[in-house]
Amino acid sequence: MANLLLDMITTSAILFLTSAGLLVVFGVMKIINFAHAAFITVGGYAAFVAHEIGLPPLLAPLFAFAVGAALGAVAEWVIVRRLYARPLDAILATWGLGLILGQLVVLGFGRGVQFVPPPVQGTVAVLDTEYSLYRMLLILIAIAVAICFTALLNGTRLGLSTRAVIMNEELAQGLGINSSRVRLITFAIGCALAALAGALLTPLTSVDPLMGLPYLIGAFMLVMVSSGSLPALAVACVVLGGLQAIISTYFGSVLGGLTIAVFAAIALRLRPEGFARA
Amino acid sequence: MIPALELEGVTSGYGSTVVVRDVTLSVAPGEIVALVGKNGMGKTSLLKTAMGFLKARTGKVQVAGVDVTDLPPHSRPGMALSYAPQEKAIFQDLSVRDNLRLGLPNDAGFDAGLERIVEWFPVLGKRLRQNAGTLSGGEQKMLIVARGILMKPSVFLLDEVAEGLQPSVVDRLGEALARMRRENGTALLIVEQHIPFIVELADHFALMKAGEIVETGPAIPSSAGQIEEHMRI
Amino acid sequence: MPDIANTTQPAATRPALSSRRLKRIAILAVFGAAVLVGPLVLDPYTVNILVRAFFVAIVAVTVDILWGYSGYLTFGQGAFFGLGAYTLAITFSEFGFGPWQTIAAFGGAMLLGVLVAALVGWLSFYPGSTPLYATIISLVLPIVLVQLIYSGGNFTGASSGVVGYLTFTFMTDTWFRIAGIATLAVTGLSHVLVSSDAGRLLRALRDNEMRCAYLGLDTSKLRIIVLVACAAVAAAAGAGYAAFGGIAAPENAGFIFGTQLVVMVALGGRGMLMGALVGALSIELASAYLSSVLPFMWELLVGIAFVAVIVTMPSGLFGVLGAAARRWVPWAFSAPQQVMLKTAQARAETVQAGIDETVLEAHDVTKTFGSLTVLSGVSLTARRGELVSLVGPNGAGKTTLIRCLADGREASSGTIRIGGTPIDKLPPHRVVRLGLGRKFQAASVFETLTVADCLRIARAGRDRPSLVTTSTDLALPAAARSVVESAGLDARLDDEARYLSHGLKQALELAMVLALEPELVLLDEPTAGLTRAERQRFAAILTDVVEREQLCVLIVEHDLDFVRQISSRIVVLHQGKLALDGSVEEVVNSDLVNEIYSGHKVAKGKEVSQ
Repeated sequence: MANLLLDMITTSAILFLTSAGLLVVFGVMKIINFAHAAFITVGGYAAFVAHEIGLPPLLAPLFAFAVGAALGAVAEWVIVRRLYARPLDAILATWGLGLILGQLVVLGFGRGVQFVPPPVQGTVAVLDTEYSLYRMLLILIAIAVAICFTALLNGTRLGLSTRAVIMNEELAQGLGINSSRVRLITFAIGCALAALAGALLTPLTSVDPLMGLPYLIGAFMLVMVSSGSLPALAVACVVLGGLQAIISTYFGSVLGGLTIAVFAAIALRLRPEGFARA
Repeated sequence: MIPALELEGVTSGYGSTVVVRDVTLSVAPGEIVALVGKNGMGKTSLLKTAMGFLKARTGKVQVAGVDVTDLPPHSRPGMALSYAPQEKAIFQDLSVRDNLRLGLPNDAGFDAGLERIVEWFPVLGKRLRQNAGTLSGGEQKMLIVARGILMKPSVFLLDEVAEGLQPSVVDRLGEALARMRRENGTALLIVEQHIPFIVELADHFALMKAGEIVETGPAIPSSAGQIEEHMRI
Repeated sequence: MPDIANTTQPAATRPALSSRRLKRIAILAVFGAAVLVGPLVLDPYTVNILVRAFFVAIVAVTVDILWGYSGYLTFGQGAFFGLGAYTLAITFSEFGFGPWQTIAAFGGAMLLGVLVAALVGWLSFYPGSTPLYATIISLVLPIVLVQLIYSGGNFTGASSGVVGYLTFTFMTDTWFRIAGIATLAVTGLSHVLVSSDAGRLLRALRDNEMRCAYLGLDTSKLRIIVLVACAAVAAAAGAGYAAFGGIAAPENAGFIFGTQLVVMVALGGRGMLMGALVGALSIELASAYLSSVLPFMWELLVGIAFVAVIVTMPSGLFGVLGAAARRWVPWAFSAPQQVMLKTAQARAETVQAGIDETVLEAHDVTKTFGSLTVLSGVSLTARRGELVSLVGPNGAGKTTLIRCLADGREASSGTIRIGGTPIDKLPPHRVVRLGLGRKFQAASVFETLTVADCLRIARAGRDRPSLVTTSTDLALPAAARSVVESAGLDARLDDEARYLSHGLKQALELAMVLALEPELVLLDEPTAGLTRAERQRFAAILTDVVEREQLCVLIVEHDLDFVRQISSRIVVLHQGKLALDGSVEEVVNSDLVNEIYSGHKVAKGKEVSQ
């Protein structure tokens, strides 16, 4: 029972980490970054490279964050900024970007599976059970990401400019805010968060060119249900992540894998505007 | 003397439609110019062209002698050009304080500026933490004007600020704008349909018709009767 | 108004029609010959690849109909293909191969496709659903399907798929001809359908779904019908594929395949059946050859080409080629057909002038957003032949009231009756069928449709459009026709609506609304942005129509002169409440109105400034 409870919490934390980047991009730019999965993969390989070149394990996620931010900035500058007026085409173009990134990864590292050793090993006694220390750590990291992000958005000038651009882009421009710069930074941060999630996942899964894909649909559905609001995303992750852990435990992982997609689809059918103001 | 704002043969429009046609207009430092004319004649579009939201297809826009024709809108506040649109001019879901903060390029000097604003508009001082969307119509207009003058612009472009307001609020806004000119030497290009308000305030009038300036003068144009005829409910 | 009889246009329609038919037959003949001769000239490997490509191309054509024509970006068509493939593979595995099994397999595949599509359609399309949501559901479908396949054990073959069943023993050349003719048939029929009167509805849905709903069309039902039909075709193609290949594998149903279909259509050219066809065939062929020569590079190149096409030429390679061809060899394209303007048969119940019939009854209508009350307790009635102006300062709730009257789901409380029927919770298309017509504030037309087609869409609810033929007539009720003619739109019936001026778009939308033969017309600031002369003409048209047709018109308007000129009554809204309801003189001269608007006394009836 304690094990299930911990599974529920850590599943939620992983979902939150893998969908936060998508939420950032959707919330500000109102477009869906279909390359999200590819950036998770990029993060996984960044962690692998960090390990190969002998960076300390604690720096690997930061390295992945930096790589994701750099690639995201280039992608926004070359591709995404031309498509703000065509949101459905932006989905397609970012999907194409994902194909390109995936193939570049294959060209660079081959199709094979790589492994990255976890930075911390062993278990820790929680409640009345022994539980993976690394998974427990992910809960703290998810909370830290949420806090950092909220602080960035609500406590800084950049955050204020970003909120201004979300609410009324033309007015923001009229007040001297360079909205294309805000969008570039936002997209870069979104991709960086995806890559960070990819790096954090490496001790739990193997690194391969398609490692990000399984997280894509779940992340979409969670972001849609929370309609672009970070607190709503956290709640959605806890509710649906918990449900996924329960269903996986009692009905098998196949049905568990469908939990989020199916429940979120039904929830959105019943309440199309999402649950941000629920 | 170099004009604070100068438009030279400016034409602009949307798609294939031309809404501003070969407009030449100059605003001297500290001068208040009112653009009048009925709706749909291109007054708001002229302000948008001056601000860069509409691209000038021909002609030149100069601020204090510097050609800004090809600058994007977000670079123009840096030229001490301030703009208050008629609609959606505040961030409803941001606090009054954050709305004001956005009037300056960074937070340096904000506290001093805020003090000044609160002295001019005491009512805003009481509502700094409130969301701007919860303000009354008159208070919102004060916020728009307050944000515009926070950066001490050399030119302020103001669109229909007196619309639908109580006379006392209109008077208060007029005083603030006059004081801004007196203390900071700010020039004002204002689009307005509230005739008594601009008759009181403006030094110069320009009547727009079908995208062109057809009449200018130090007093409200002889066709003022014509303007009044176009007043709308 | 000049009397323009039915002889507006010269009767030059016949040759154009037959040349068009001739072209269709010629294209069909060329492709048909290619399909028959193909196996004789191509090497066996290519023939084999092309058989698979044909089945994929059929699905790509359905993706194009759904996405390119009706604007629904779907990643789910691959799932219907897989569903069909698995149905056939499982039928043959479980029951053996034979004639009745074949019929059952194809029939079952299409039936399953129809049922699943109906469910997906119900989930995706409902009044108020967004395109993004529908796209997301199309993503969920293949994922759910593939998970079910994985967990199906021996029945579905899990990750290795269903293989080793007995199937047809045709030669590859025969398969080539069967699949080729099937592809040709699907593409040809799709072409007839999308260029028919009914097919025009697809593009109308893509351009402006809201306008469709306010023309009385049940857009959700339409979209579900199209999806169901496309799903049945895709499932049949999948069954054919499994019959040919002897395998049904999870990747035939998956999300990756669904995205590949979209890539093919995008590269070829969305909204052009030929683009989808050529895109699918060439990518299938090229990837078969190049993926062995350049294993990783090939997919990278496809990715780069895809992004480049999406960003720089949204109409795809075929769109770019087509535009170039139109410029360099214009004679190859038949000129648009002349449109014959006619007067439609009036409704059976002819309206008697002067009868005093209540059309609109609103009682105690309230609208709240959270804690904010935008309308409170507004009651209003209007009768035939009345032209009621709704005035009030910005934010008084005028547009909100219009919205509540036009959409039964808007009002928070209160009752609204149109033609005596309460509209509680009715979506717009049902309210429109009660006799309502709504003109939006910003002209809302179908941008990429011609003026004539926009007007035909407005008539689609009354004159059932044909699935096969393309009409050259345009039959409009007298009121709509008089608007078309007096605005000069009759000279521009063949122009796409996006090329019209602002004023003409407004007139077109008004004509579309009047083409519905409504009893109650809601007009939200119809004269905004019009010149003085245009306003005068508009006022004349409006009063004339109200007089002649005994319409009831409710109009939101700012221009006081205009209001005085046209209104039979004025209703004043202030801060969400009904402040005054009376004759023109009563309202214009009331002290209350002057106080509300200006806050100080002004010359009576003159300046009533906001």
